[in-house]
Formats: sequence, C-alpha cells, structure tokens
Amino acid sequence: MAPFLLRAERLTKVYPDGTVALHGVDLEVRPGEVLGLLGENGAGKTTLTKILSGLLPPTSGRLLTPAGPVRFHSPKDALRLGIGMVHQHFALVGTFTALENVALGLGGMSLPALRERLEALIAETGLHVPLDVPVEQLAVGERQRVEILKVLARNVNLLILDEPTSVLTPVETAELFKFLRALREKGKAVVFITHKLKEALAITDRIVVLRRGRVAGEVETARTSAAELARLMVGAEAGGRGSSVELATETPAVAREARAAAEPALVVEDLRVRADTGELAVRGLSFALYPGEILGIAGVEGNGQTELVEALCGLRPIESGRVLLLGRPVAGRSPLELYRLGLAHIPEDRWKHGLILSFTVMENAIFGLQRERAFRGPGGLLRRRAALAHAARLVRDFQIQAAGLHAPARSLSGGNQQKLIVGRELAKDPKVIVAAQPTRGLDIGAAQFIRELLLKLREEGRAILLVSADLDEVLALADRVAFMYEGAFVGVARPAELTPEAIGLLMGGVKAGAR
Amino acid sequence: MSRLGQGLRPLVESLIAGLIGLGVGALIMWAWGYNPWPAYRVLFQESFGSTYGLAGALANATPLILTALAFAIGARAGLFIIGAEGMMYMGALAAVAASLPRLPAGLHPLVSLALAALAGLLWGLIPALLRAFRGVHEVISTIMFNWLAHFLAFYLVANVLVDPVRAEKTISVARTARLPLLLRGTDLSLGIGVAVGCALLAYLWLWHTVSGYEVRAAGANPEAARYAGVAPRATVLGVFAVAGALAGLAGAVEAMGRPPTYAVYSGLTNLAGFGFDGIGVAMIGRNHPLGILPAAVFYGGLQAGARLMQMWAKVPFEVVRAVQGVIVLALALPELLRILRRLGLLRRVRRHA
Ligand SMILES: Nc1ncnc2c1ncn2[C@@H]1O[C@H](COP(=O)(O)OP(=O)(O)O)[C@@H](O)[C@H]1O
Ligand SMILES: [Mg+2]
Repeated sequence: MAPFLLRAERLTKVYPDGTVALHGVDLEVRPGEVLGLLGENGAGKTTLTKILSGLLPPTSGRLLTPAGPVRFHSPKDALRLGIGMVHQHFALVGTFTALENVALGLGGMSLPALRERLEALIAETGLHVPLDVPVEQLAVGERQRVEILKVLARNVNLLILDEPTSVLTPVETAELFKFLRALREKGKAVVFITHKLKEALAITDRIVVLRRGRVAGEVETARTSAAELARLMVGAEAGGRGSSVELATETPAVAREARAAAEPALVVEDLRVRADTGELAVRGLSFALYPGEILGIAGVEGNGQTELVEALCGLRPIESGRVLLLGRPVAGRSPLELYRLGLAHIPEDRWKHGLILSFTVMENAIFGLQRERAFRGPGGLLRRRAALAHAARLVRDFQIQAAGLHAPARSLSGGNQQKLIVGRELAKDPKVIVAAQPTRGLDIGAAQFIRELLLKLREEGRAILLVSADLDEVLALADRVAFMYEGAFVGVARPAELTPEAIGLLMGGVKAGAR
Repeated sequence: MSRLGQGLRPLVESLIAGLIGLGVGALIMWAWGYNPWPAYRVLFQESFGSTYGLAGALANATPLILTALAFAIGARAGLFIIGAEGMMYMGALAAVAASLPRLPAGLHPLVSLALAALAGLLWGLIPALLRAFRGVHEVISTIMFNWLAHFLAFYLVANVLVDPVRAEKTISVARTARLPLLLRGTDLSLGIGVAVGCALLAYLWLWHTVSGYEVRAAGANPEAARYAGVAPRATVLGVFAVAGALAGLAGAVEAMGRPPTYAVYSGLTNLAGFGFDGIGVAMIGRNHPLGILPAAVFYGGLQAGARLMQMWAKVPFEVVRAVQGVIVLALALPELLRILRRLGLLRRVRRHA
C-alpha cells in the first residue's frame, strides 16, 4: 500500500485581489491518521484545504495521489477519488430534512434506498441525527453531523473538517472526537483544522502548523507540547533580533516615575465575561493600567481577548467582577457614556464597529460624536460646517489619503480607513485608549504610523491597552506584556525580560514558573 | 470626488437607464407593429409639453411623492416598509371624517391633514412595535396590515362614511376643508405644495440634522450605529411614525384635493395603488427625497400619457402598459438591485478569513 493518500507539492495560491494565501506549501496525508492543520486566523488553512478538496485551483504547485498527479476541476472530481470536505460554513437547505439534504448532493438514488444506506451509516458511525426533521430545526452540532454524513455517503477515504469544533459545545466536541478516532481505526484519513492548541493535541497524530501561508513546522503529536505549537503558530523568534518592528521601546524614566505616583486609569478585578455561545470567555481577570504606559495583551487569538475588549468598551455585558475607568464603574454604561468618561476604543473589526462604509469621510469623522455640542446645533441641526472642519483636521493631522471630505469611506484604502478611525478616537482626547488589533491588515507605512502614534500618546501620559495578535508589535510597544490563555493571564512581564522560550511557553498557556 | 460629482452619478445612471427603457419600449411597440415615434411624441408633448398636461402630471405626482417618501425614509433606516398603501387608506378616511365637524375655512384643512397624518401613524404602530420589540420583519407585518386596512376601509366606506345620496362613495370632504385648486380646469391642488414641502423637510431631516444622521447610520450599519449611541428601538419607532404620517397625508391630499367629488369611492378605486406605486417612485428616485420629486412627476406623467398614447397614437392599452412597465423597471433597477442585495436575496460574494 502506498504510504500516502494525497500529497500536495509546492502549492501557492494568489487570490484575484493579490492576497498571497499560500506560499509553496508541501503536505502529505497518510491513511489511518488524523492530521492536524493548525494556524492563526488568516494563516491559509481554509485556502489549503479548499485546494485539496477541489473547490479552488492552486495558482501553482500540484496534487499527487498514489496513482500519479491529479487535477481537480470541482469538488466532484475530488469526491470521485474519495476526498470530501466539511466547510466552516454549512451548505444545507434549511427547509429540507437531513435525508433530503443528503439526497441533494447524491443525485439519482431513490429516497428509500438512501434512507437504508444512511441508517446503516448512522449505526456504524454513531452520528445520530433525525432524518425526517427540517435541518433548520436541528442544533448546530446535529447540522454538522448531517454535513459529515453527506460526505461519508460518498464513501470517502479522506475527510477534511474546517474548524469543526468552533460551533460545538464541549460535549459535542467529545462526541466528534470519538467518531474521528473510529474513522481512523478503519484506516481512513482525517484532516482536522483548528486554531486551538488543546484540540490539536487531543485528537491528532501529526500536526502541520501554517503561518502566514507557509508551513512553519511539522511535528508528531506525541512528541510536542502546547508551548512548541504556540511558538510555531506565532513565530516566537519575535522579540529577538529578527523582529520586524523596530521602535524605541525603552520606557522613559519620567513615565515610570509618574506611574509610581499616579492612580491607575483602568482597574479590572476578577472580571468574568461570557462569549456569544454562553461559555465563559474571560475567567477571573485582574489587572491595572496606569497613565503613561502601554499594557500589551498577547496570546493566541480566541482566548478571550475579543470578549475582554468588548466588555471594557461597553459592547458586552459583564458577568461578574469589577471594572473601574478613572474610578467609575464601567458595568452598565453604554459606549457613548464611556467615551464621555474618557475612553477611546479602536475596534478590532473596523467595518463592524469602526465606521460606516457608505458614509462620507466627514460623516465618519463625527461618528459617535454626533450628539456633542460642537456638532449638534439648535433644534438638533447638524453643524455641517463644524463637522467639515473637524474632518479636514483629521485628514491633515493623520495624513489620510482621501479623494475629499465627501468621498465615501468605502473608497479609502484599509490603512486610511484605520487612520480615520484612530484619528477620530484620539480626537476625543481620551485618558484611556483600548486599541484592538490596531494595525491588522495595514501596509507597513500605515502600521508604522499608528505604532508611533501609540508611543506618542503614551508619552503624553495616556493609558493604553494594546491587544494584538502580532507578537512582534506587542513586544516592541508595550511596557508590560500580559499573556492571555483561556480567559486568564498566565504571566505578565517586561518584554526585555522575556526569552523566546519563555514566550513560547506563555503563549501555550504554561504558567510562568510552573514548569 | 466633489459633492456635486457624487450627486451627479446617480443622475447619469438614471438617464442611461431611462434611455434603455425607452429603447426597449420602442422595440416592443415596433415588434407589435406600432410606430414608436408618434407614440412617444404624444406621451411627452401631452404630459410634459403643455401647461394642462404638466398640471395633470403634477396632480398625479402629489400622493406618489408622499408614499414614496414613506418608503424611502424607511429604506434609509434599513426598514422595508411596504405598508404605505394601508396607511394611505386610513389617512384618506380620516380626512373625510374630519370634514364632519364645522370648522373655519383657514383651520379646517390643517386639522384634516393633521388627523390624516395621525391615522397613518397609528396604522403603522403595531408593525412598528412588533419590529422594535419582537423582531417581526416589517415586510411581512406591513403586508398583512395592508390587507387589514383594505377590508376595514371597504367597510367604513360602505357603512360608516357612506354618502346617504350616492351609495357608491363616501360623503364629500366639506368645502371648508378642501385644498384649493391651483389651476382652474385641472386637478392640481395645493396638495402638491404639501407634498413638495414634505420632501424638502425630509431632505433637511436626513442630511442636516443629528437625528437624521443617526437614522441613516442605523440603516447603513446597525451594529456600528448602536455602538455610536443610536438607540435601535427608538429609531424603528420614529421612522415608522414618520412614514405612517407621510402615507396618511398621501391619502388626505387625494381626498381633499381631487375634484370633482372630493371623496373615497367604494372599492377604493380612486386610491388603490398609490402606496405600491410609491415604492417604484422611491426606487426611481434612489430613495432620496430630492430624487423622488422628479421621479414622481415623471411617473405621474407616464400614467396620464398612457390614455393619450392610446387615443392619439392608437397603441392598444396593453402595449402601452408593457412599455410603461419596461421604462419604470429600467429606472428602478439600479436601486432595486441594491435593496435585494441588502435583504440578502442576492448573494454578495464575501470573503471569509
Ligand atoms: N476569496 C478571497 N479573496 C482574497 N483573499 C482571501 C480570500 N479568501 C481568503 N483570503 C485571504 O487569504 C488568507 C488566508 O485565508 P484563509 O485560508 O481563510 O485562512 P484561515 O482559514 O487559516 O483562517 C487571508 O489573508 C485571507 O484574508
Ligand atoms: Mg478558515
């Protein structure tokens, strides 16, 4: 028997908009194994597996089966060779039953015959789903099983699952793992995508780590650790000499002295926050942020950073614990009230919270400020002239490239949209700034501009909480770095005191000193 | 890009769309063996080329401006209120009922208009509350309320407000409450002033006040708007109220300003359709109050012209309707596509990270 089921060689994928999602990736899938594909958001996991399953053509590189090179023109071609994929976003017809959904993809088989086949398959795999209920009435975990059955009904040898656990409860995840193990026993292969270290360690035999479209490493699961995986995922040569961010990082003595004297600007005590799924995403977090410092929060994404920021900024309810902004409680206040207390928020998702794409530069410049005296005249009239002047000031001060103050924000590049948001937030003259992924997706120039700005704000004595998935950035800018893992800090340290090894351990959730 | 440039683009788009519509319409007439040239000449000369033609077009445009505004303001707030039809019935009947009490001539029309606006507003109240507090989609609820209004209005016309002498219509609006005619021998009343005034106010509201800014923000990006301090429920209720009042006024100007009877006919024959036509007009006008004005006049002229095309160019009515439909569709298409996309009926290719 051939030692592999499917092999990818030097795969490169360039999307039509110029994004290079994959960069010469090699990968081999062997029968009877669960192969983990691990990587941060945007690492290229989905792109890679879409190529393996025939949904996307590679820009260059090739796929090999034991019988020789193959070229897929559609997922059908891949299915014919026994390769099937379950996508992150399901493709089910809500008003159809599970049976009908499976029949849709199969075509040609009579429903009674298919029912028999499915019932056998369910008995064999333990993937229980009601066959005659419209799938829109099923729980997410059940819908996923329908998707898996859809693929299994085609007799696949290789099952690819794109972040299957992101929608599952812990119990459902355990059931899925049981099923995957059974599949492995039968000699089938599974490619399991995740960005959660624990899961990769729990279920896989071998792990390939992707980072920025390249293979960052390949390890046997039995011989690795969370720390090593985290290091591979985020590239822990960061902070060392290979750092791509070069800025003066020394905390000025003045600022340090000021801190010793000053009251903290933001105090968080035993904070708990729930994620949308209802599970605790922030579990008993405590810290203090002082004027004149940047506190960085590093860690693999999805460890509660987003929920933390949203809770601090009034976008998500606080489950328990205390947050004090300049001595006043944050709980129960709206974003608008918090801003009036002295908080500015550079949101993680620019398009969701940051601006309105169809609004003009001028309209976005006063977004959230529209009720201020400066922009709201007698009778609720909008002071357009004041708004225009304000927008013009932002465009000048923050070097925003725009076709004019009446150009829609949509027409600005990502970097200039971000500068507009940052400029507007800073124009609030805040005491505390919560910056979430402030340079994500920006070109080097714009990113550098924003980083220098954050440093300048620190010099001015403002308190900055910097949450970033870019480890280089956090290490370069922050006075203190906290590592977040599963909703809590596993360590807080000065960047200069951190060795690459220690960073790797902290990123992987190993508590400082608990080795 | 200058502000003027921004405003010019939709205008150019509409002109091109209109020309395409006229072209396809001409093809249709030609294919059925009629000469499009004289037909179009009659249409434009009679509808827009003469004082009387233009007055007719403006009279037709009057209720359409108001129902179109009702839809457009909703659309700007991200709501698809298609209940103007029912709200308009309620407004018309309120205006008729308001002429029962004796009031001085100067005051009477104002009271009637106010009551009509209130009736329209109240008719939208339940769908508004359902949307704001229970998330019931307004498309569904307003369609249902259109039917409720339809049968309620039937009943009121036939049994409550019925003219004791002429059972096929309601009592006529009192003389003191009628909107004066602007041009003798035409249907053009002061209602056009009401409609244009509302359009100007709507424009001022949406683009020159803070609350209008917030309404547009809520429509463009509800999540971000909430973050910026816009209260979603208050926005829904406020927008529904304004839309209901405008649609109610549409019914009122028709009842109070349309000679010779100044009444509502049984079967609602002189009202039916303004609410739905308003949606088309709003889309031709790009859901912009100032775009709606020319759109409604054009639409009103097209309606008046249909009869003339039939009479003078001997094009059968069915073909005229087909030609009209094509022109309106072509003009509405750009905005229609945008709205369908927003409703998620057309998939926009979105990349996922
Ligand atoms: N259809 C697309 N067009 C352009 N860029 C894309 C598209 N899909 C993904 N990308 C980009 O390619 C990179 C890899 O994305 P993806 O494969 O989805 O990563 P992952 O699944 O690891 O999160 C990201 O930078 C993403 O923004
Ligand atoms: Mg993905």
